[in-house]
Amino acid sequence: MRVILVALGVLIGAYGAVLLWENPPVIIMRILVWAVVGVVLHDLVFAPLCVALGFAARRLVPGKWWPPIAVAAFCSVVLAFLAVPVYGRPGMRPDNMTVLDRNYPLGLWISLAAVWACVPLYLSWTYWRASRPHTSPPDSARSR
Amino acid sequence: MKTASLRGTAVTARVGLALGVAVSVCFVTGLISHFIQHPQPWFFWPTRPVWLYRVTQGLHVISGIAAIPLIIVKLWSVWPKLFERPIIGGLVRQIERVSILVLVGSMLFQLSTGLMNIAQWYAFKFFFTTSHYAMAYVAAGAVLVHIGVKLPVIRRALGEPIDEVPAADGPTRRTVLRGTWLAVALATVVTAGQTVPLLRKVSVLAPRSGQGPQGVPINRSAIAAGVLRSARSPDYRLTVTNGSTTRAFSLADLQAMKQATHRLPIACVEGWSVEAEWTGVVLADLVAAVGGQRDSDVRMISLEPPGPYSRTVLPARHARDDKTLIALKLNGQPLDLDHGYPCRLIAPTRPGVLQTKWLSRIEVVP
Repeated sequence: MRVILVALGVLIGAYGAVLLWENPPVIIMRILVWAVVGVVLHDLVFAPLCVALGFAARRLVPGKWWPPIAVAAFCSVVLAFLAVPVYGRPGMRPDNMTVLDRNYPLGLWISLAAVWACVPLYLSWTYWRASRPHTSPPDSARSR
Repeated sequence: MKTASLRGTAVTARVGLALGVAVSVCFVTGLISHFIQHPQPWFFWPTRPVWLYRVTQGLHVISGIAAIPLIIVKLWSVWPKLFERPIIGGLVRQIERVSILVLVGSMLFQLSTGLMNIAQWYAFKFFFTTSHYAMAYVAAGAVLVHIGVKLPVIRRALGEPIDEVPAADGPTRRTVLRGTWLAVALATVVTAGQTVPLLRKVSVLAPRSGQGPQGVPINRSAIAAGVLRSARSPDYRLTVTNGSTTRAFSLADLQAMKQATHRLPIACVEGWSVEAEWTGVVLADLVAAVGGQRDSDVRMISLEPPGPYSRTVLPARHARDDKTLIALKLNGQPLDLDHGYPCRLIAPTRPGVLQTKWLSRIEVVP
């Protein structure tokens, strides 16, 4: 099973490499650079930055607040990524106003506000749930 | 609970499984779109349901976007492995590292170029379609190799409970997973409205609002196609040929023929789609007018000067379909110039790029 998967994977991947190879050398280089720069940006810029921010935030944020804040921060990162190609409308052309036809800065800020508004809502809900007596099983029972 | 213990194969395997599903959907729907545009003898593409391509290509972009939060978490969960010793190691170790480099590089390439393409942002200086297609095989192959290598680890990890240590405070691995699914849902909601009408209002980051002339967006404008004069010329004729038989139709001739109205979606390769009401002449009637056979493919030629999309071949199955129209009207009004005035092709289950606009010539392929 594993051997079949690996062999099939190598075969399919090699077919892709052959298709890429049909490009002129300068284009192949551009494609490879794009792919490698993606990896480098992730591994050596984006990931360390996240670790540093997370490390700093953990000193400032109380433990109970940490889960919703971490989730909201992650959602914000995803929204920011999705906004990159639309925020400043780099692909807009004057002859076609049906592409990139939204107010993206407004959309991004509203969606970020909605995400972060969920943090106090979630925290109030957990505090409210914790303050109710005897309605939920104790933590020790739930974790088994 | 420390972040170090939040990471772990229990999270990696579960997020990886979801990522595998998203990538598989993306790969298969992408291949479908490719083979519709580059037909092979073995490839069969039906004409019903009429919204089939709308769904497959919508899913292509939706699954690709859903993969973005998934790959971020997946990479986060294994990032410390990058610095594991030995950094270089032996031959097996090097092969493993190179295979991971190919996997991550090709995946990031696919997601970044795809996301930029739907916003028509061509900052990269290579041709999108061919490189995205070729790299898809590299990514798919790398995923299969990765699954093959990691299969025992994946099996074990999926069998393990997510939370081994009950956490008193702070996030657990369960939090990580829930946060991931939440981010996937969020990414979908803020973009999928360009093809899912229900989400249109909340998809604040979708490259298309779904608006446009006559309620339909456009991809190629009449200005870009260079047809402003030829499309509005009083001498305009639609030429229909079958071998030596040739007939020329003025716009008035076409309007005088029997008209049909159908609700058909227009679905772009870039993942947006809208349904609209199209009125015009059934293509099969025009083909019959020059004595064409029902099992012939039909070539569509635009007024647009020769280019990659100025002519297309419509397979016989679609050409003889009674819902395939040479449309003169869109949503009750004469076609807007940007929608292909004086007439355009609209056929079920075909990508928008092949629904040739500003038709000048229809040839029955012998």
